[in-house]
Amino acid sequence: MVALTEMTNWGVDLIDVRKTYRGNVHALRGVNIQVGRGEIFGLLGPNGAGKSTLVKIMMTVVRPTHALGTILGRPLGHRGKLARIGYLPENHRFPGYLTGGRVLDFYAALAKVPKAQRRERAAKWLDVVGMTQWADTRVDRYSKGMLQRLGIAQALMNDPELVVLDEPTDGLDPVARRDVRGLLLELKRQGTTIFLNSHLLSELEMVCDRVAILVDGLVARQGTLKELTEHTVEYRITLQGETASLAKRFEAMGATVEGDVVTVRGHDTSRVNAVIDAARGAALMIESVEPHRFSLEDLLVEAMGGPGTARAIPGAKQQFPGSTRAAN
Amino acid sequence: MQFWALIVDSFRESRDRKIFWVILVMSGVIALAMASVRFDGDRVSFLFGLWERSSDYYNPLTGAGRSALVGGVVYLLLMFALGWVGIILTIIATAGFFPTMMERGTIDVLLSKPISRPRLFFYKYLSGMLFVLIQATVFVVLTFLVMGFRWGIWVPGYLMCIPLLVLLFSYLYCVSVLVAVRTRSAVAAILVSLAVWFLYACPNTALGVFQAYPDLQKHQRWYQAVRVLAWIPPKTGDIPYLAARWSQAGTSLDVFPEELMEGASMTDREQLDRARDLEEQELKKNPWVSIGSSLLFEVVIVFWGMWVFTRQDH
Repeated sequence: MVALTEMTNWGVDLIDVRKTYRGNVHALRGVNIQVGRGEIFGLLGPNGAGKSTLVKIMMTVVRPTHALGTILGRPLGHRGKLARIGYLPENHRFPGYLTGGRVLDFYAALAKVPKAQRRERAAKWLDVVGMTQWADTRVDRYSKGMLQRLGIAQALMNDPELVVLDEPTDGLDPVARRDVRGLLLELKRQGTTIFLNSHLLSELEMVCDRVAILVDGLVARQGTLKELTEHTVEYRITLQGETASLAKRFEAMGATVEGDVVTVRGHDTSRVNAVIDAARGAALMIESVEPHRFSLEDLLVEAMGGPGTARAIPGAKQQFPGSTRAAN
Repeated sequence: MQFWALIVDSFRESRDRKIFWVILVMSGVIALAMASVRFDGDRVSFLFGLWERSSDYYNPLTGAGRSALVGGVVYLLLMFALGWVGIILTIIATAGFFPTMMERGTIDVLLSKPISRPRLFFYKYLSGMLFVLIQATVFVVLTFLVMGFRWGIWVPGYLMCIPLLVLLFSYLYCVSVLVAVRTRSAVAAILVSLAVWFLYACPNTALGVFQAYPDLQKHQRWYQAVRVLAWIPPKTGDIPYLAARWSQAGTSLDVFPEELMEGASMTDREQLDRARDLEEQELKKNPWVSIGSSLLFEVVIVFWGMWVFTRQDH
């Protein structure tokens, strides 16, 4: 169990978050997520998994059907604490009649940032996102990439303790994406907690300390990248010769057979050796033995098989319907 | 800080709409047209002296003439030009304020700020009225100055027309906002608020007809029904009366002065007597009952809209 003191140290501690939309549509079915302070946390999942709904509940944009937990130590939905949170929604829109500089000033004023600090911070963040020269241009003349950069600056204007970014690199070119990754790492270095929702798995892999995979409104996997991937190894043994006759025997050993490739999942190398011995005993040639470590993409694809049907991955926290809070 | 941020933002949003400038230009043209009129004894010249005619009636040197001029400005220019045409245009211009704010991607950022939903709704509601406050102020102050400097009629009470116009607009704006938050559609907000305005106006117009033609009052059932319906707030029909009444408060002006009655034919005299009776009836009414009951209606509608906005997912 997570100790009480540890629980209060979470930047984000979501407990049993449920959301049912009209028509009995269950967007979230009891989500538990914990994000440590100062870490970069990635939320991933297929379309319709409930990622945006979860983020919107965190930001009070959507009202949960049921939710417990805390954000920055205050109950979920605490409005005062929103002053310490920066948010970039997916497909955000800013009033077209405002200039970039005024957008930052307006939203920072709503976040209760004093006027003197607004001016100073606007100049700083416009510079960081490379938008200084566009500060006095109306945002309805901005490209999508420019809007995205302005959105990131907007999310940082209140000097937040927690930044929630929904698809932050959407519309950005590769150089700008790299810059955003650098910015996230710099924010982390300064102690900012970052909650990232992105479908770009390679980017999440590059910056995230921990991730959660959301499928069908439930957390299918959650943990550090190491936790999630270190036990998810499989060995692919490519054979030459008549493998079909041995297929049942391999399957009895817990392996799967696809053509000439026999796959053995897990770290148990004795099973790999047993397959090799059986193959050699049947006079088959061993062409190659390749260990394959799971990437986030593999984890996601596997999780998308359904939380009820997904195979257990040792070491990874899991959560299925009816389970209580995932903690160990 | 948050209030001013939203007020300033609404001003910028208003300024960005072409219709805002159209109404301002309309006010300027009306004020200019008024300024082109000059009174010189019993002579009235129009278009800066291009056309002239004699008039005993519109003579600012007489009490009757002054009353007629101020009444004309209040009823014809203020209540028709700005009060009706202007407010229809303003309803069209402001109907998009809430749907635009509630668009996906826009509302997300706003709600993620430390401002409660009821407060955000209320500030936005007030800032929507800024649009009409600016327009009403420009129109009333311009025409006030024209009447003072060009015609020599200074009526400080006329400035009360600014809050009255804002009030008239707010009776409709609350409905527009309620529909806007329910449907997120500016078109629906415009159509419903104009339909509701028509419904407000019908009983008042019918009551006016009954009072102007007393013979019709023998249809007691209809007359009573119309009286009851006209009593239901918001009382948009009372605003022009209040504007005329307050414009002339504290001055020597009289809507139906004796000079006007002298020399009138028998038929005209009967009509004027009836109009004076109606006016006296209106004067007996307590304006705060009309304003208070209408504001109560507005408060109910605003709270309904706020409740809908607060309960919604975005």
